[in-house]
Amino acid sequence: MISNAITLMIAVPLIGAVLCFAAKSQARIVALVASLVPLLISLQMYTGFDKTSKLMQFVESYNWVPSLGVKYTVGVDGIGMPLVLLSTIVSVLVIIYSWGEHDRANQFFALLLLNEVGVLGVFTSLDFFLFYIFWELVLIPMFFLIGNWGGPRKSYAAIKFFIYTHIASLIMLLAIFGLYFTYRMPDGSRTFDMLTLIQATSDKVLFPPALVNVIFAGLLFGFLVKMPAFPFHTWLPDAHVEAPTAGSVLLAALLLKMGGYGIFRVILPMLPNVDKVFITIIAIIAVLSIVYGAFLALAQKDLKKMVAYSSVSHMGFVTLGAVAFTWLSIQGAMFQQFSHGLITCVLFMSAGTIQHTVGTRIIADLGGLADRMPKFAVLMLAGFMASLGLPGMSGFVAEFTVLAGSYATLPFYTLIVIFFSVAITAAYHLWSMQKVMFGPILPKYLDVHDAHPYEIASMTAFILLIILFGVQPALITDIMGTAAYQVMEPVKTLAQMGVI
Amino acid sequence: MVNLVHYAPLYAEGLLTALAVLILFAGLFMKSKAMMGYVSLVGLALSLFLALTANTGSIFFFDTISVDPLSQFFKATFLVVSLLVVIASLTRYKESAGGDEFYALLLLATVGMMVVSSSIDLITLFVGFELASLSTYALAAFDKSRRNLEAAMKYFIFGSASSALMLFGFSLLYGMTGTTRISEIAATLTADFGPASLIALIFVIAGFAFKMALVPFHMWAPDTYEGAPSLVSALLAAGSKKMGFAAAFRVLFVAMVALRVEWYLAFAILAAVTMTLGNIVAIWQNNVRRIFAYSSVAQAGYIAIAFVVVGAAGTLPNSAYVAQTGIAGGLLLILGHALMKTGAFIATAVVAYMVLREGKTDPDDISSYAGLSKRAPITAFCLLIFMFALAGIPPTAGYIGKFVLFGSAINAGLVWLAVLAIINSAISLYYYLRIIMYMYLRPATGPKIAEPKGYMAALVLTTIGVIWIGVNPQPFIDYAMQAAAVLLPH
Repeated sequence: MISNAITLMIAVPLIGAVLCFAAKSQARIVALVASLVPLLISLQMYTGFDKTSKLMQFVESYNWVPSLGVKYTVGVDGIGMPLVLLSTIVSVLVIIYSWGEHDRANQFFALLLLNEVGVLGVFTSLDFFLFYIFWELVLIPMFFLIGNWGGPRKSYAAIKFFIYTHIASLIMLLAIFGLYFTYRMPDGSRTFDMLTLIQATSDKVLFPPALVNVIFAGLLFGFLVKMPAFPFHTWLPDAHVEAPTAGSVLLAALLLKMGGYGIFRVILPMLPNVDKVFITIIAIIAVLSIVYGAFLALAQKDLKKMVAYSSVSHMGFVTLGAVAFTWLSIQGAMFQQFSHGLITCVLFMSAGTIQHTVGTRIIADLGGLADRMPKFAVLMLAGFMASLGLPGMSGFVAEFTVLAGSYATLPFYTLIVIFFSVAITAAYHLWSMQKVMFGPILPKYLDVHDAHPYEIASMTAFILLIILFGVQPALITDIMGTAAYQVMEPVKTLAQMGVI
Repeated sequence: MVNLVHYAPLYAEGLLTALAVLILFAGLFMKSKAMMGYVSLVGLALSLFLALTANTGSIFFFDTISVDPLSQFFKATFLVVSLLVVIASLTRYKESAGGDEFYALLLLATVGMMVVSSSIDLITLFVGFELASLSTYALAAFDKSRRNLEAAMKYFIFGSASSALMLFGFSLLYGMTGTTRISEIAATLTADFGPASLIALIFVIAGFAFKMALVPFHMWAPDTYEGAPSLVSALLAAGSKKMGFAAAFRVLFVAMVALRVEWYLAFAILAAVTMTLGNIVAIWQNNVRRIFAYSSVAQAGYIAIAFVVVGAAGTLPNSAYVAQTGIAGGLLLILGHALMKTGAFIATAVVAYMVLREGKTDPDDISSYAGLSKRAPITAFCLLIFMFALAGIPPTAGYIGKFVLFGSAINAGLVWLAVLAIINSAISLYYYLRIIMYMYLRPATGPKIAEPKGYMAALVLTTIGVIWIGVNPQPFIDYAMQAAAVLLPH
């Protein structure tokens, strides 16, 4: 086992980004190597991961700013490990998918690597100070990816993305200050240690209800904006529509997961200590995200915008499963994060490939592309089926588990989701797929060629993983089950808390 | 016979004064002015070393000058700023006539600021203030263009008015207490002087607020920063403005501590209005130097939070600690802002250098920055870092300063002020991103240029400093905490 695995995993892409930036040509090879190393490290961590342990593993801790109580502490548990794995997988496959990028390729690949640094940092930091630095670091590569390689309204989208999510981060920072200045370690010093501070909120004397509710609301806002949940999702369509394909993929597959990660790491352990009205609020937000997101997706003319809204809808399942607070639903919500991270890549890659081979993403203008793009059509179809929840693929497992688990504690909300979203979700996927790919080919698309081999390779890898985890979810859910148990163990179920 | 060793802690000031006179004198005989720049450079570097290694805790000249961690912190800041400005000037003022005067004035301004930061007597403080001000008035007009002259005139008139206000405030203080020593004033001012003490406070705050460019005393700053030579703007925004804080810290926290509640309220309003107005006005500017000027105003508003925290801390159970972190946060932001703004103004000098050769008349318009990342990649990258740092994105000096300062505000129970400051940070991001957008997301309007070496050296050093403080903040926090302790009763 490598010592300092996590630090190494974060440092390699960082160094890779610098090298990439300096590389005159062949930056993509540097990027591929620099992203394969973290993948191998994370795979080794996965095999060495103790699935039964509830403790943090691979922990490294060094003093950083002792006078403020800041430490460089990283480690993973069942919440972080799957997302680390997801980040390293997605980073490699996105770099392969972007193999044909020639416009300022060195900067492009450097930014992809920098993005990986940021998300890996977020998923492994156990110190709020460090966490916040990585949380903000992620914004910078994405800003430039959207702003430099984006669509016609790229500047507007890039600035809106940056400012909107930055405001959310700042509000989260205020809440972190609230925790930091209230709690003192037994020896009187202050700490930014995440686990300690979160656990401290159960102290009713130190954290009276008024204080803990405000802190909780601030943190929740920071995470919900990132996810994004209705009604804080308005930055997402602009960012997605304007971003280049690789940017959209990273945004949907990894950046949104940061919000979900925050929910599991910070929000759920605090949930029993706050006012119960929050459970209702979060549940309503979750249901609205799922249902409203699905209806919005149905209404879109632009394929990519449809996929973007489908993300809002699918991420709603994460919120719902989390707030339902049963062992099954939490585990399902965690798996939904992982599964959606894989599936959405295929969806955005499909939209991207269609855009650059055909020249448009407007669903109404497309038709019969399967005739000229047979390999691509198979992959896109598989991705869409996974997204609408076809059994045998990971999306089904995740959403089924969330719904089954949530029904126990939030039956009313779960039923709304089942009644209003399942059919709509199937509808927009099937309808758009049918219109874009099948039917007679339009004469103007007769000379369209199939997707590039590297695009096919990357999408195939995703589809194989989606099927693998659809058939064998235990590969990941075993870890998550322990984590879900660990989240619930110190507290009671919702029923015992007197919510339902 | 003077015992020279006794004055060892003041060698830094002595060296710079001697050097300034020497340069002026040598300028009469020597043709090459490039030499003067290198001499100043070495002199400033040596002074920085002397100032940092000087023994603290001694008092000189009949209790008027104190060498303590606080004055040391400010001296280091001023010297670093001057050093960077000199490095950048090596290209700019190499051949021009009067280069010797530029360096001499710069050194004298630095000495003036250093004197202010170590004064524990109102008269000495005022003399230091005037030395720095008079030198910078001349510097602001140095290139003798129309805009220079207008900028210098405005700066001179407002500066003189503020000196008059400050002096009037001092005279009232002297009248009431019969002394000009800061510590003795503190002891005497506890007696009831009726409205006179309040009037003195108003005049003193108004005088300092001009220098600090707090709203509504900020009107001169945008015009001066825009019109003066870029490198002088760097000195004004990063150095001489911080002198106002150095003076205000000593006079308000120590001498006028008895009026804590009054200045607490005054600064709560000043800080809130300054940061909000500065940021909102900056959004509408199209001249990059005006954007930086208003961003400076906004940053002064943030730094002014330190006064509010100290004021609010008075009644809290752990008041000493809260006040100390508040001042330390202010000091860290002063240091950070000094670096970031020096760098930003040096970058505008590079752009002006680039654009003026193409015959355009308005080098500071934001359109000149289009595609800067391709035309002058090093400058653009450094400016990018400064913009993110000014916006408070981690891990940079700007982030650490804001982090400690806003944190101390929350600790002092000033949640409203911290929230306002954070909203302001978010607003400010817009105009910083706008500059970044022009540099990185717009197509270039001209060919790539060879970036002048002097400017590059200064920019790269500043960038390293800004990131270094962000990544390794511990020694700087320790230093700021020690400096802050000087101002608090032991």
